[in-house]
Amino acid sequence: MRSLSRVVAVVALLAAAACSSNEPSGGGDVTIRFDWWGNPDRAEVTERAVTLFEEKNPTIKVDTSYAEFNAYFQKLATQVAGGGAPDVFQMDYRYVREYADRNQLAPLDSGPSKVDTSLVTQQLLSGGTVNGKLYGIPPTQNTQVFSYDFKQWEQSGAAAPKDGWTWNDLKASAQKVSDSTQGKVKGIVDFGGIEDWFEVWLRQQGKTLYTAEGKIGYTAADVQKWWEMTDGWRRSGASTQAELTTKMDGSQANDPVTQKLASSGFGYDSGFTAKTWEIMGREFKLHPFPSDSSKLGQYAKPAMMFSIAQSSKHKEAAAKLINFLLGDPEAGKILGMSRGLPANAKLREEVGKTLTGPPAVGFQFEQSVGSKLEQAPPPPPKGAGTVKSTFQRIYDDVIFQRMPIPQAAQKFISEAQQAITT
Amino acid sequence: MSKSTKARGQGVAYLFLSPWVIGALLLTIGPMLASLYLSFTDYDLFSTPNWIGLENYRRLIEDDPRFLTAIWVTLKYVALSTPLKLVAALAVAMLLNRASRAQGFYRSAFYAPSLLGASVAVALVWRVIFQDWVADPDRSLLVIVTLAVWQFGAPMVIFLAGLKQIPKELYDASAVDGAGWWRTLWSVTIPMLSPVIFFNLVLETIHAFQAFTGAFVVSGGRGGPSDSTLFYTLYLYQKGFTEYRMGYASAMAWLLVLVIALITALLFRTARKWVFYAGER
Repeated sequence: MRSLSRVVAVVALLAAAACSSNEPSGGGDVTIRFDWWGNPDRAEVTERAVTLFEEKNPTIKVDTSYAEFNAYFQKLATQVAGGGAPDVFQMDYRYVREYADRNQLAPLDSGPSKVDTSLVTQQLLSGGTVNGKLYGIPPTQNTQVFSYDFKQWEQSGAAAPKDGWTWNDLKASAQKVSDSTQGKVKGIVDFGGIEDWFEVWLRQQGKTLYTAEGKIGYTAADVQKWWEMTDGWRRSGASTQAELTTKMDGSQANDPVTQKLASSGFGYDSGFTAKTWEIMGREFKLHPFPSDSSKLGQYAKPAMMFSIAQSSKHKEAAAKLINFLLGDPEAGKILGMSRGLPANAKLREEVGKTLTGPPAVGFQFEQSVGSKLEQAPPPPPKGAGTVKSTFQRIYDDVIFQRMPIPQAAQKFISEAQQAITT
Repeated sequence: MSKSTKARGQGVAYLFLSPWVIGALLLTIGPMLASLYLSFTDYDLFSTPNWIGLENYRRLIEDDPRFLTAIWVTLKYVALSTPLKLVAALAVAMLLNRASRAQGFYRSAFYAPSLLGASVAVALVWRVIFQDWVADPDRSLLVIVTLAVWQFGAPMVIFLAGLKQIPKELYDASAVDGAGWWRTLWSVTIPMLSPVIFFNLVLETIHAFQAFTGAFVVSGGRGGPSDSTLFYTLYLYQKGFTEYRMGYASAMAWLLVLVIALITALLFRTARKWVFYAGER
């Protein structure tokens, strides 16, 4: 009997240990949760800005947590499904419709969750608007950019990009770089599998990735034409070979430009952080995309958004936090370029004055191209994330010559249709 | 033992068993039944699941070319990695069985990869070592196969235990009869070891069907290049956790359970022909 009671005691002890968790110590009348994706650098400044918010609003306490992008969205989905969404969270352009359609986001232009929409550039708001209501407000913006190793280009005798340059101009320059290095350094990264750059090319022809109704805005013929162009560059040696291209996963480590195996590529201007030159081992110049029409095709893109959960019990406090992060000059100074170029014009000017190095180059580019940028398209439909990864996956079939291009384009379109309709 | 002490003894037994029973019910059997139900719905994590009958299963078989790719990749992997791993395990076990000195050291040294191998860190190292192969759709699967074969430690230890069970007299007898190394292997070692081989074969086959970490890490979660490493479990993961098609992913999981059950049953069927249990016949 004694042994039984001992067992019971041990079990009870274990249960007690399992139940006690680290409850955050309460400091205010209301506690809200704020989750985002990002790296430790961003976390540090965000924490500092949040602490400042708590000092200025002693009745509100903010619990924060962050993760890497993919892990963040897996966690967010699980939390939302379980009814435990954070009050304020970072939202991506590609997911905002998905969450809004499922009634998980609170409108930011009406009701208790209303935020001050005058804080950001109005062109950007369309990117967070679903069915006429605003569900995500961007703290920062960015735009597409072409960047090149100008010293290498000069050495190779490649013509530098200039206003009104065309896709053929780019190819000719890239070819020059490849030829002058006997193919050791390719002129440009093979960009054919990245939907983002395909979108710019489409917009130059007056088309869009998605129609206003959320349908696919282009045909297999467009995809075929694009892939025939980029595949031709790869075959002639102007762009990177398949073995390098397939490894690109968005990380700097696997980018042929970082590895000094390619001398130019497309990207977003928010990608230029204080350490970029150091990581790349050389300096770059930025230029708008080439175009064969009078249209540039680039647009002011919400780099990310803030959203409030429909299930939040403290929507006013949540809205207050967003207003603070977007509009408070001190917060702006602390946050700097950690989430990209501030979407708030006043903060942007302030932040711009303090920049040096690569971020300053990114900032100048954004200012110089700003007037030519178009309005952000409405958020893409549910399944758009799958379409993007499908685009890259099937392009692998093209570069490894596993499938003729027309067939690959057909295959892509049918998989894309399936991804957004079922 | 009186009746009451016996009953009490059973009570204690159940009490000791209870952490496992509770865990199995709450963390394994409950979720499994839930996923069986969800496989007949359009569950997407956010909305209430709607019953759609066999639609997920129909779509998998009729409308999803990547599903077929995933099956093909997985079958290739199972067919390559399982026999290679077992042969490696048996070969090393036989070597170790002969060595008398420092056997403990070698046993640990060969077992170490199995402890480390399941970890993400080693898969990352593998990805760097074989980086040229990883980027080639014709060879990327082989990288993951070698990673699996390298982790032969668990079947090796079991083989080693099995080898030590074989009566020495049998080897003496075969030596007296003038049997060479091959003859002894075929006529003594393998038949005597066949229950252990069978055990390892079933276990490793099931493991191979469920392989995930290697493919996930080596291909960066994409199953590429060109879907050449799109393992069944990796595709299931993509459907469930990046596309939020939980109903669809559940249907995939249950098809995998069925296939593994079927193949295990087939293995048991063939076992009657080649597995020899001492004391039989």
